[in-house]
Amino acid sequence: MPGVASGSGDTRGASGSNDSSLVPYLPELRQPVVYSLHHGLKPPIGRLSISWSRGNNLRVSVLRPPSAEDSDDVEVGGRVVEVRLSNGDGETGDAKWRRIAYGSVPPFALLQSRRSSVASLSKMSMSPSPYNIDWWEYVMEYSKDINSLLGDSKAPPNPVIDDPKTVLRNVEEPTSLKAAWELMEMFYADKQCQSWLLERLVDWLADYDSLLSSTQPTVHSKLVDFQNELVGLQVIEDNPKYWEVLSSALAVGWIEIVVKMLRLHGSYQFHQLGNREIENGLVETVSFLISKMPRMRPEVEYGRLGECYKAKPDFIKAWEKWRGKITKLDCSAFWLQCDHRQTREGLKNMIQIMLGNTDNICNVTCHWIELFISHFLYVRPFTVGLESMYSLAQKCMQLKPMSSAHGLIAIILGILGENTEVILAECSRAFGPWMVAHAIELLTTGSDEAEFLLQEERHSLGGISIAELHRLVYAQVLSSHPLTWQIAPIYLTSCMKQGMGLLEILLYKLPIQHNETLLKNLEICRLYELDTISSNIMKIAGVYHWKHGRKGSGVFWLQQARDEIRLSRIAQHLFDSVGKSISDESFKQWEGLIELLGSESKTTGGLEFLHKYRDFKKSLKQVYGGKTTDTARQAVESLISLMKNPSTPQRFWLPILHDSLKLLNWQERPLLNVSQTSLLLNKLQELSMAKLRPDFIEADLPPQALSSVRLALATNLGRAILEE
Amino acid sequence: MEKPLVALDKGTTCSSWNYSSQRLATGSVDGTLAIFDTRDPASSSFSCTSKSKVHEAAGIVKIVWVPPEYGDAVACVCADGTLSLWEEAAEDAQPIQWKLCTSFKSGSAQLLDTQFGVSPSGLKMVTAYSDGHVKVYELLDPLDLKNWQLQAEFQNVIDSVSTFGKAMCLAASISWNPQRGESQESSFVLGFNSNTPQLNSSKVWEFDQAHQRWLPVAELALPGDNSDQVYAVAWAPNIGRPYEVIAVATDKGIAIWHLGLNPDSDGRLSLEKIAQLSGHNGEVWQMEWDMSGMTLATTGNDGAVRLWQSNLNGVWHEEATFEPTS
Repeated sequence: MPGVASGSGDTRGASGSNDSSLVPYLPELRQPVVYSLHHGLKPPIGRLSISWSRGNNLRVSVLRPPSAEDSDDVEVGGRVVEVRLSNGDGETGDAKWRRIAYGSVPPFALLQSRRSSVASLSKMSMSPSPYNIDWWEYVMEYSKDINSLLGDSKAPPNPVIDDPKTVLRNVEEPTSLKAAWELMEMFYADKQCQSWLLERLVDWLADYDSLLSSTQPTVHSKLVDFQNELVGLQVIEDNPKYWEVLSSALAVGWIEIVVKMLRLHGSYQFHQLGNREIENGLVETVSFLISKMPRMRPEVEYGRLGECYKAKPDFIKAWEKWRGKITKLDCSAFWLQCDHRQTREGLKNMIQIMLGNTDNICNVTCHWIELFISHFLYVRPFTVGLESMYSLAQKCMQLKPMSSAHGLIAIILGILGENTEVILAECSRAFGPWMVAHAIELLTTGSDEAEFLLQEERHSLGGISIAELHRLVYAQVLSSHPLTWQIAPIYLTSCMKQGMGLLEILLYKLPIQHNETLLKNLEICRLYELDTISSNIMKIAGVYHWKHGRKGSGVFWLQQARDEIRLSRIAQHLFDSVGKSISDESFKQWEGLIELLGSESKTTGGLEFLHKYRDFKKSLKQVYGGKTTDTARQAVESLISLMKNPSTPQRFWLPILHDSLKLLNWQERPLLNVSQTSLLLNKLQELSMAKLRPDFIEADLPPQALSSVRLALATNLGRAILEE
Repeated sequence: MEKPLVALDKGTTCSSWNYSSQRLATGSVDGTLAIFDTRDPASSSFSCTSKSKVHEAAGIVKIVWVPPEYGDAVACVCADGTLSLWEEAAEDAQPIQWKLCTSFKSGSAQLLDTQFGVSPSGLKMVTAYSDGHVKVYELLDPLDLKNWQLQAEFQNVIDSVSTFGKAMCLAASISWNPQRGESQESSFVLGFNSNTPQLNSSKVWEFDQAHQRWLPVAELALPGDNSDQVYAVAWAPNIGRPYEVIAVATDKGIAIWHLGLNPDSDGRLSLEKIAQLSGHNGEVWQMEWDMSGMTLATTGNDGAVRLWQSNLNGVWHEEATFEPTS
């Protein structure tokens, strides 16, 4: 599984794709890539310890042996290093990758929602195909959106004063990523361009030939070299390089450059026109014919040359006519009258290229792909279909073997060979998981076989398809970074089988200490109805806050999690602390907690008592503060209801009564009537009996507490009887 | 590609990251437990926030984090075979600090490995000892790591009748099924490196709710290999596969097993050995699955970190090797 993407130059070397075979990727034979892990510690190293962080970051603890006392000056005993196992393609920076990652979310999500609505529509109409004829148009829209993220393809506006000596336009540095995306777009998604695929390929090479220069010389690199020399050249047409570069550019169809360069020919100079009339006429004729070259394409952009034809019969007719003119020019008598040898030979060579002379074409092109393009332009202009392209590619590669394959070339070979697995493997190797996860949308649109291959559920992959696997791998990469994990759920929820499983693990591994992350996390749970994981997360947050002294937040989150077991333990805990200390400070501490715990929860047992106890304490406090008989009466009501309640634990009876001594000894008049006093006396009696049992818990009160309560009750009873 | 995160003190013998990879606990040869934290989740600068002396006389050999539902706590296994649980908590207006919850004395036998598992009934802790015994403890109060109850004690053998008194085990490895579903029965895999062949092979133990006992439901060894000494076991996270994946490292290499999800009439789970991988040329120290259960990372005697994956045809291979250099 291509979870470990590397894409650096040494990777390609290690996998041994040096041979010129069309399918250099043989998964079974791949040797592991060996990386060095720099830790900066002095040897010896005693032990390694590994741990996966979120996503696919691997943390390695490198430990020196503890007994290595020989080097006392070494302070560090070990180091933890983090290894990122997916770092894109090496040419795109981290920030740019994140921009692409975030930018590709809306088009991806839109395409997924369109797929599901198209699928549900086709289910309703019982159509045999899940996609209607317009599906590729959606994919094209998606592809264009993604493509626009990968870089600006528009050339800067032409300068007002055109420098005649600038043959190459300055454009933004093209990227392999964009080049690869456009390749797949034209071959798979864009059904409209199928009939002028060859012209698209010519344009593609014009845009991206410079990328291939990194591995070997190309027509583009020849042009760049010549451009640098150009300024110092006096008589340009005497220079053999001028003619060589002209032929090369013509061979790959860059006709605007060719025509512009021909205009630099010395015979155009004003003072020369008179005596080089014939020579200039030949240059102009060739240049005119080149600019009228028939092209099989819907339109020609402004400023570009060539005559375009939309329908094939028209194109064939025009092409043959054009070829006829070139043949006629080739046989013209004017050549004999042309005195300038270089011009004569140079132009003749260009004519041979346009006539499709394979030897000449082969001589002026550098890379096999240039030779390939030039074959389409001049040797087999009417080719259609990938099959003949593939055999032609093989032939071209034999003529111009590569020393090392550029990642793009490997992808082209996969496309021409109609080998989806190779394309995916090369995309993954050169550009990493982002590319594969997104390009699959294009590949599945291309053909039924590719769709079957990518969407078929496989036992060897644990019951998922290749498409889902690559989405999972990409989502895992997104999970690795604190700035991108938030978009991983969008890809995971588009995975039918295992996305939710991975999403749950991702959410579980997010830290809950930071409220912002916690809330974001819970929001995602709510969005995808992940109730179990959300209650688990709230449980973790609850325990974390409870244990770290924020008891209120702890109870809040445990309640959100509906964690009855832990809440009832907390109630029990409060319950235990009530008996210990009834000082006012601690009362304040747990008063809020009782409020938070609420009274709804049945299983929280002693809560009812805690609520009543809180009411009693409150009114008692008022009694101590004010001194009105009314508040005292209220306190007595609370006391009686507390003592009547069966959930009030026995061990609290005496402390409660002891707290109420002031009420029992009320100065003005007895506050408790006879039956109330008898109830309390009975409780006191019960308590004395219970004292004999072994499990009795002695309250932490002064030794005379019981007798003072008993005395107060007896006095109150006497006074109450008198009053009644 | 690699980025240094933390510099560790001299004498550090073991390290362990918590569930979210935000906290690191390390143990040292002088019995000190150190905790490293980062202030902000996006930052990767870690600093030591706490140091506690776990043992006066023996070094820490292994640290295991308690699942986060039970707080920020670690189990420390010391060289003399003792196990202690330490927890970060604030008590009554006191500042947050690491405190000892409880410690387990293992008597004559030495503790070799311990791992925590979350089951529907609560937190469970499995411990394996040098005499070949396995103990399963249950936490009584989910908010208090002090009180544990011994739920079961058995030996790592399929045939429960035979017991081996004189077993001498050098190492043990335990790995819980990482699945934390409500309905899921708890299960773990356990293997020994001992002089008693019957104890060695890795067995999957599952809790039988109806009879309240632990049962061996699978033995991860081919008939000829079941006495091989086991160095490490690792149960892969399952994000939706119709089978479980378990890696077992023995002196013969690393084996990848597929374990069926549904038991047959005898209560056994179907088994298939998918791959036998060689790479470390000797003892395997540690095996860790990534969060999707697709990549296995291993370390061993050869001092390298190796990553293993299965390709599109289900064939396991070594994907990458990391060789530490200064």
